[in-house]
Amino acid sequence: MNLNIKADKAQTYDAIVVGSGMTGGWAAKELTEKGLKVLVVERGYELKHVEDYKTAMKDPWEFEHRGKIPIVAAEEHYATMYFSAKEGSQYLYSNDKENPYIQKRPFNWIRAYHTGGKSLLWGKHTYRWNREDFLANAKQGLGVDWPIRYDDLIPWYNYVEKFVGISGQAEGLAVLPDSNFLPPMAMTAPEIHLKKSVAQKLNRPITIGRVAHLTKPQPWHTAVGRASCQFRNRCSRGCPFGAYFSSLAATIPAARQTNRLTIVHNAIVKEIILDDKAQKAKGVRVIDQNTLEVREFYAKLIFLNAGTIGSTSILMNSKSARFPNGLGNDSDQLGRNLMDHHLAIGARADIEGFEDDYFFGARPGSLYIPRFRNWGNDKRDYLRGFGYQGGASRADWSRGATETGFGADFKKKMTQPGPWKINLSGFGEVLPNPNNRFYLSEDQKDKWGLPQIVFDADFGENERAMRKDIMNDGAEMLEAAGFKNVVPYDNPVAHMGLGIHEMGTARMGKDPKTSVLNKFNQVHACKNVFVTDGSAMTSASNVNPSLTYMALTARAASYAVEQLKAGSL
Amino acid sequence: MNRREAVTHVAWILGGVFSAPTLQAMSRWEQIGSQASALRQSGSFLTETQHEIMARVAELIIPRTDTPGAIDAGVPDFMEVMLRDCYRKPAQDTFLAGVGELEQKGFLKLSPDQQTTTLKQVEAETQKTSDSSFWLITKELTLLGYYTSEVGVKASFDYQPIPGRFEAIKIKPGQKDFMYGNQA
Repeated sequence: MNLNIKADKAQTYDAIVVGSGMTGGWAAKELTEKGLKVLVVERGYELKHVEDYKTAMKDPWEFEHRGKIPIVAAEEHYATMYFSAKEGSQYLYSNDKENPYIQKRPFNWIRAYHTGGKSLLWGKHTYRWNREDFLANAKQGLGVDWPIRYDDLIPWYNYVEKFVGISGQAEGLAVLPDSNFLPPMAMTAPEIHLKKSVAQKLNRPITIGRVAHLTKPQPWHTAVGRASCQFRNRCSRGCPFGAYFSSLAATIPAARQTNRLTIVHNAIVKEIILDDKAQKAKGVRVIDQNTLEVREFYAKLIFLNAGTIGSTSILMNSKSARFPNGLGNDSDQLGRNLMDHHLAIGARADIEGFEDDYFFGARPGSLYIPRFRNWGNDKRDYLRGFGYQGGASRADWSRGATETGFGADFKKKMTQPGPWKINLSGFGEVLPNPNNRFYLSEDQKDKWGLPQIVFDADFGENERAMRKDIMNDGAEMLEAAGFKNVVPYDNPVAHMGLGIHEMGTARMGKDPKTSVLNKFNQVHACKNVFVTDGSAMTSASNVNPSLTYMALTARAASYAVEQLKAGSL
Repeated sequence: MNRREAVTHVAWILGGVFSAPTLQAMSRWEQIGSQASALRQSGSFLTETQHEIMARVAELIIPRTDTPGAIDAGVPDFMEVMLRDCYRKPAQDTFLAGVGELEQKGFLKLSPDQQTTTLKQVEAETQKTSDSSFWLITKELTLLGYYTSEVGVKASFDYQPIPGRFEAIKIKPGQKDFMYGNQA
């Protein structure tokens, strides 16, 4: 018995954070900096910042397939294949064959099971939500009302933005509130022309993408070892300069500096251990992904940051007499209201002229066109809206494959910058719908004996109606600039998961009967469990979500420590 | 009779005269056979003849000029690796059918001008269809193999692996395309 007590003590922390990605890193940083002894439980392998970015400094000719993915690898990584998983970045994506899931309706579940998680995959576009985003559900009677408003997040947006480091241009737009910015990245000449034309003819603003790259590192960035962006745009291989924000580059180093951080790797959380009587969590039970050994860790406070599907499925797997359908699932909302952003739609064009204009450097970002539909006086026959990312660049040698010709002159031509071309790619809001969901398979297990995830979600009428506008409005803007051969496109591949913005499956709300989490991301009926990743989202907005996840996490961590100190957890 | 002798012999029968560059090129084709690259493992995708045909085609697309050509950059072996590893069976079959047609036309026995004419015909036929074709795959692979090879990059572009800044600039006369590395 004594032995057990000793063992328990050794495995006891003030707080356990599940996951080391975008929000897990933030939870670890905030909780350790507030004096807590924190254990981060990461299901994947240990990936070390810089030293494990094994392809980061490779030249093109050092890749056997010059960046392309072999068929065999593609088949094992089926979820990521529509995407940017290429030869240089594939090592950061999880193998789907080893981590299977079930698609009742098509869903791409893109994962990164290692330290840093999907914060090493993200596109780094970083936007605040606007006031209306938090009001839309209530105004339109959709889903449930957010238990918080934009004003609740302002101080937390401010707080996380400074630490993250966001390059961008203040515009004073209500639809896209400004963040605290580092210097913006430049636009190319045709992009400036587009911006002017669209402002003049269509009265729509275009700004440079707001991206989490250090264009001018501040002392608190260099203090954790981060440096300036080098404009290589090889971010997807891992940044050896720590110039783009990831938990590996920023939040985890900050947490380490407190000497109160422990990370355990290869530890898949099987369930949360519950004290049913007290309606409190005691800790987590984990399976070692390599040895299958089961261990337990204990803490007074638990933060779930395993990614939307990960965190929600942990709650689902944590069953007890009090919670027969999963921890905190009194509302039957666990796994429901699955949202993403819909994409793979927009318009592209050729640009004549601007032959004398060029650019130096590879910009890891693009333009951003904020939402203009259903905004102000604009009323459409669908709800919510969409934004665009995209930009103009000059074609490179690869244009030669579809150009006529070969031989000496052709060869020489390919060494010159090609014609300008432009693409605008839409990102549309997806509405919460209780029938868009995932659940646990009753008979299919993974190799650790945990139920496989079944996805049963798709876009609905509202999303489809919006897509027509995304295409046409994109084409209209390119035409306003006088660009040539404008082609609106809608890729039929579009379905949920491709946005890698899955969210909403343990939503926040005011009423425990219709939501899983309260306004501080606490499980309504189990106050010492907080969920602060995408699961918590009550609606989706149309802007990229990571910044809002980070703000919610910092806010929840602050509240949790207050409550802990007051003895309320 | 080795390959060069064979080709020369055919040329002599046809009454052709080889220019110095062509003779040089043939010397290099010789080397292809002798350089059994580590990449050409057992289970090669192409027969030796097909490999030679493709080496010749690649060299016609990106010939050696004042800068290295496709063969210098190792394109023929690269092509084979890519076809084996990165293309699904329908594309592989399309490709093989295309090589087969060139083989039937006795491609290697044609004079360089005839070879060029033949490829122009293949190219013209391709433009009637939007499907993947032998010619498109060949061009994709030749360009990828050459313009991302070390000799190809250094000979063709202003290679800037660490630019350090991003700015809009005016182009200078004779400005080569900047190359930052494949962002893969």
